[in-house]
Amino acid sequence: MNMQIIAQMVVSGALMGSVYALIAYGFQLTYATSKSINFGQGELVMLSAFFSLTLLNIGVPYWLMVPGGLLFGAALGLLVERAGVRLALQQKSEGWILLTIILGLLGFSSAENIWGRDDRPFPTPISSDALHVFGINITPLEISVAIGVFAIMGLVELFKRKTLLGKAFEAVSADRDAAELMGISATRTIMVSYGLSGMVAAMAGILISPITTVGPTMASALILKAFAVAVVAGLDSGFGVVLIGIVLGALESLTSFYVGSGWREAPGLVLLILALAVRPNGVFGKATIRKV
Amino acid sequence: MKKTLLATLMLSMFAASAYADDSIKIAISGPFSGGSAPMGTSMRDGAKLAIAEINAAGGIKIGAKKMKLEAVERDDEGKNERGALVAQELASMDGLSGVIGTVNTGIALSGDKHLQEKGITKIITPAAGSASMTQWSKAGVKDLSIFRFAAHDGIQAAMVVDQAIKSKFTKVAILFDATNYGVSGRDDLIDQIKKQGNKLEVVATEKFNIGDKDMTSQLLRAKAGGAQAILIWGIGPELAAVANGLAKNGMKIPMIGGWTLSMSNFIDNAGKNGDGALMPQTFIEEAITPKAQSFIEGYHKAYNVTRIPSPVSAAQGYDAVYIFAAAVKQAQSADTTKIKDALEDLKEPVSGVIATWKHPFSKWNPANVETHEAFRSSDTVMGMVSDGHVVFANQADRERLKKHAAK
Repeated sequence: MNMQIIAQMVVSGALMGSVYALIAYGFQLTYATSKSINFGQGELVMLSAFFSLTLLNIGVPYWLMVPGGLLFGAALGLLVERAGVRLALQQKSEGWILLTIILGLLGFSSAENIWGRDDRPFPTPISSDALHVFGINITPLEISVAIGVFAIMGLVELFKRKTLLGKAFEAVSADRDAAELMGISATRTIMVSYGLSGMVAAMAGILISPITTVGPTMASALILKAFAVAVVAGLDSGFGVVLIGIVLGALESLTSFYVGSGWREAPGLVLLILALAVRPNGVFGKATIRKV
Repeated sequence: MKKTLLATLMLSMFAASAYADDSIKIAISGPFSGGSAPMGTSMRDGAKLAIAEINAAGGIKIGAKKMKLEAVERDDEGKNERGALVAQELASMDGLSGVIGTVNTGIALSGDKHLQEKGITKIITPAAGSASMTQWSKAGVKDLSIFRFAAHDGIQAAMVVDQAIKSKFTKVAILFDATNYGVSGRDDLIDQIKKQGNKLEVVATEKFNIGDKDMTSQLLRAKAGGAQAILIWGIGPELAAVANGLAKNGMKIPMIGGWTLSMSNFIDNAGKNGDGALMPQTFIEEAITPKAQSFIEGYHKAYNVTRIPSPVSAAQGYDAVYIFAAAVKQAQSADTTKIKDALEDLKEPVSGVIATWKHPFSKWNPANVETHEAFRSSDTVMGMVSDGHVVFANQADRERLKKHAAK
């Protein structure tokens, strides 16, 4: 019984953790190329979820809604890059921090005005009746979240390794100046990274909406966790983000079971403090050499 | 263009002031958006239905003049800080006769002090948390302008514990949300279990936050302790997450909890997993009396719905307006203090949709909060979620209410 409970807690926690990881992965994508992140990433998750829900409501079938939602997310990502990041980066200023926050707030109020402030259920053809696997209860819906998370991350990684544009992406991440000398347009690559990041956010929105319902504040708790994951793992490593996300999710469940449900948020915060104190570049981050 | 705009503005200002002279201004405040919105909007719409009825009948006769009721709506979004701002605004509003509303206990705690300070009469409905009235008895306030028109959590917790004992449960888990409402509900439950002879063993006391969707750890702790029922205090979306978590973890045990288990966003988001949930109700959306029938039909027609999002809130909002209007009539004044005095000693019974209210409130006594509480446990019944609707859990209650109304 006891082992079963632990296994159940780890599995449920890890599933939530994989969503944290997916959102954190969105941070990581843009940080790799441009050393900037979108602080309004949570609003991208929420806006894409609302857009996908609208698609479903006007009668678009589920399988067609998914690419529609992803495209919308990518478009939003591009918009954030153009409106909030590009100019700041050209001027080598930190203005993108404030600008992405402002764009996020703008997105939040737009969502409130367009779709209202209520939480709405998100219909899905995937069943939420529990299956029993080795004594663990898990719903097909939760399995679909895990599959979705790994599928989209796998695809993005494949894109980075196998296509020309992806290789440019890697080159800019490794050394922006050198890449530009080789004739790679850093601006274009950063654009691509923001588009991908928006798409990843949309995927996260579509995946979790059936579980969390859709509302303007749906991502506000998730985004904090995702941020903790990104910082703890380090913003350089896609693999690290996944691992830390899953560990954090499982740790949260276990803590709330063994210590008490009031302590659920504690492990994430403790990890964050520890990481900042011991490894400021993240557990999987590369140490940067600062030239003076 | 500019000129017309200016003219319209001036005209409307003139019209507003002319209107204010022969109208009685009542503020309706509550969450019209967010997780508590089904309660807030139903309360508002129920109250507005009553206002429309009173105005259609010519208004309230004060002296030789017939005065109409005018509603001022304020959305507090269910947030404590926003609620405090709304209360401050209302406290300093010119010519306000009273306030009806507030869904969230936290808002009653953060906002009502501003109204009490200025002596503005307020009828709290449907916020049920005990603390919203006990805060005044604890402070030893001598003269209170805050009344409550809702089955407070003390009554509700007693019914919930009673129901669990009646169902022959011995082990229960208490789940509550981390708001003022949830925490004070937990205290009431523990208190009631003691009062009713410690027949229930609490095997787990678990907290969850607003916005939590994964309740696995809380439920597994309940399961590990061998809980036979979940006693729960929270609001719609999280209650639904608990119901869905129970189903997922293969736990076939009932949820018994505060009246919030009747909220539409619980019923909709939990779907079939919500069936069988039990909760105290002051009003069930079933036309068992002619009065109830005309109220339900009136609501459906006025707001174009087939189901009231929160029938309890709507009925309480409706009856609260009638009680307030009766006080205005008795006071023969739109003055908020005179209305308060009249409320404390209503001479005429008020015929409402929930019951006929005979002397619902009396002179405030800090040692006894029931002086400003309208509901007793006899006004409350057990409701049960069944197939997307709330129905009577016990047929006996249905018959009792029918008879009650016939009298």
